Amino acid sequence: MSGLRIEHVFKRYDNEGKGKKKKVNDFAVKDLNLVTEEGEFVALLGPSGCGKTTTLRMTAGLEEITAGDIYINDVRVNDLEPKDRHIGLAFEDYAMYPPLTVYDNIGFNLRAKGVSKEEIDKRVREIAPLMQCDDLLDKMPVKLSGGQKQRVNIARAIVRRPDLLLMDEPLSHLDGKARQAMRTEIKRLINEIKCTTVYVTHDQLEAMSLADRIAIINFGVLQQYGTPAEVYDDPVNEFVAGFIGEPPMNIIETTIVGEGEHFFFTFKESNLKIQVPERYYNVVSNGFKCKMGVRPMDVLIGGPDSKGTPEHVATFENLGDERRIGIRVGDFLLMLITEDETRYKAGDAIKLEVRAEKTHLFDIETGARIRSR
Amino acid sequence: MARITLENVKKSFGKVQALDGVSLDIKDKEFFVLFGPAGAGKTTILNNIAGIQVPEEGIVKFDGEIVNLVDAAHRDTAMVFENYALYPQMTVYDNMASALRSKLYKKDEDYIQKRVHEIAKMMNMDHLLERLPSQLSNGQKQRVAMGRALVRMPKVYLMDEPLAHLDAKLRNAMRTELKSIQAQFGTTSVYVTHDFMEALSLADRIAVINEGKVVQIGTGDAIYDLPVNEFVATLMGDPEINVIPGRIEKTETGYRFSMQGSGKSNDLPEDKDLFAKFEALGVEKVDLALRPQHLVYSFDPVPGYLHCTVYSYESIGNKSVIVADHEGLQLRLIAPNGLRVKIDQDVYVDTKLNYSLFFDYETKEFLARYNEAEIRKIAEPEEEEG
Repeated sequence: MSGLRIEHVFKRYDNEGKGKKKKVNDFAVKDLNLVTEEGEFVALLGPSGCGKTTTLRMTAGLEEITAGDIYINDVRVNDLEPKDRHIGLAFEDYAMYPPLTVYDNIGFNLRAKGVSKEEIDKRVREIAPLMQCDDLLDKMPVKLSGGQKQRVNIARAIVRRPDLLLMDEPLSHLDGKARQAMRTEIKRLINEIKCTTVYVTHDQLEAMSLADRIAIINFGVLQQYGTPAEVYDDPVNEFVAGFIGEPPMNIIETTIVGEGEHFFFTFKESNLKIQVPERYYNVVSNGFKCKMGVRPMDVLIGGPDSKGTPEHVATFENLGDERRIGIRVGDFLLMLITEDETRYKAGDAIKLEVRAEKTHLFDIETGARIRSR
Repeated sequence: MARITLENVKKSFGKVQALDGVSLDIKDKEFFVLFGPAGAGKTTILNNIAGIQVPEEGIVKFDGEIVNLVDAAHRDTAMVFENYALYPQMTVYDNMASALRSKLYKKDEDYIQKRVHEIAKMMNMDHLLERLPSQLSNGQKQRVAMGRALVRMPKVYLMDEPLAHLDAKLRNAMRTELKSIQAQFGTTSVYVTHDFMEALSLADRIAVINEGKVVQIGTGDAIYDLPVNEFVATLMGDPEINVIPGRIEKTETGYRFSMQGSGKSNDLPEDKDLFAKFEALGVEKVDLALRPQHLVYSFDPVPGYLHCTVYSYESIGNKSVIVADHEGLQLRLIAPNGLRVKIDQDVYVDTKLNYSLFFDYETKEFLARYNEAEIRKIAEPEEEEG
């Protein structure tokens, strides 16, 4: 049995306002396929407008499906009312009933369903400590901080013991530390209740830290679906490579030059030369143009005996826990991160080394990953 | 050029004491950062320098001259705000030129053109000059807002959280960019932020502000490595510094630290200066503080390591944080991404005690740390000129 199954789902919004030119093929979601395991925590990740919230809303039944099928626990739900889909919802804005206490807010949906008073009481008191809101039960919503409201909001979503929990940017109202703390709470909660969860976010960090698997969406199209380690280490295209990780992967246009038996990445207006990993030798040739990607952690400053390329520091930032160094490669600022304590300044001469085996190649036109054959 | 001095500046809004005796001495050409949590009084300080607000008590001086009664327009400062306030009907060029064309400055068009192009080139936005603000991304808008301030050559640049409402990635990229052009400013700059990375990256010196008071002034190194109290220590660094309450006691050979609660104790590695300081201070109850990168872990039992369980394991980008729970004491430590870690599984933690900082248990004030003299040498450089 799978938790959620989305098969060939399309969504097109039909807003034919007068005078508005309507584009053909204007799909908000395009041929989406996604299967979760039961109890799995899946993040839908992408920039704003990519179709991730639309997908969530179709799953919840708040939005019609243009084409395709959605199954929850192997039951096709296309034609079911939201209330019959056995889902819990926790959205960004926590729309609580202001005249009701936290206790009544959490129990509201159960009462609407006619669950007995004793049962409601049992379940509310069971859930409240999980979400650390047992001290809040008698309070009114106006008395709560943003973080507390979101706790209550999530408690309300899970008190119904849903088959599927849907969350849409539940942390985006919270600031820095409250957000981080809440993220940890959510992670522990899901681990505890083991409910299949779909979580929408535009924040790659949130997705990376919470999800078992991440579905990365752009322009309504699923780009990659994999574990955090997979999307980080083995991105399928330039978009995923650039979207996951901060600071982002360095992605630079390169011309490959063959010298003797070896190939090298070379860059416009730069002396930087990096050997192409041998596994790519059967797909590259002299003069081959593509993009090279390398993460800031895989760019290093060599010691005194280094054979790296002599370069100059363009920017040096000491951030306390780590240091970030920028090097000009043509008009691109190549970033590297180091925990080395050396304090550089702009203009300092260094030897630049790149972990060549960690480089990725991307097609210059399509951005698709070029893999060795 | 301008040296800016604040002497015991006070300001209140109704019952709220926004500034409670702030004194600062900002040197000519210095990039000075006002750093602190929301509501600390950072922006109020900036407004008092700009002349948008006037102190109730105390003095503001530009180059030794009292400017309390000089209005904002005549203080010759240029401000950059969090919201970029661009004229929507004007091109980027005209937005940047607007101040120079105003009655106050009335520069001729040749000069304006030269100056706008100079700044646009420096900020890498010469290709945007003909666009309207609506055709710009948020990052580009912020760049234009900053460029507009830079085309004038005021005595001082004042910047109020200019990057705050950009998303994390863009903010980091813009910060690096700002850092790269900063050397070319050559003008006293005062920069307000609540982001410790911005403060550490950009500042020549940082003033940590809290509840209307200056808590500490120093280089980034001084604030990070020699915080005057636990409050400052916890503001710097992500994840937050670990604070372990306990007591120190003299042994035959040196000192021992025993954790509160579990009572687990360790001999402290030798540092003569540190032990001499303990002796002189005669303290017993302390908070030992260690940054997350100075904790090590193992998933297999190691003798001498502290037995904890995994409270959480989360990626923070290029690395991850394990929060390890030991009888309610939560320790944050750094681990690589992509480990197979289960919540509540066992983890064994050890501390690199020779990186410890010590704070007073009661007052939370800084007492001592390892390698203090050496660190002080780096963090508090001698004044270059008299």
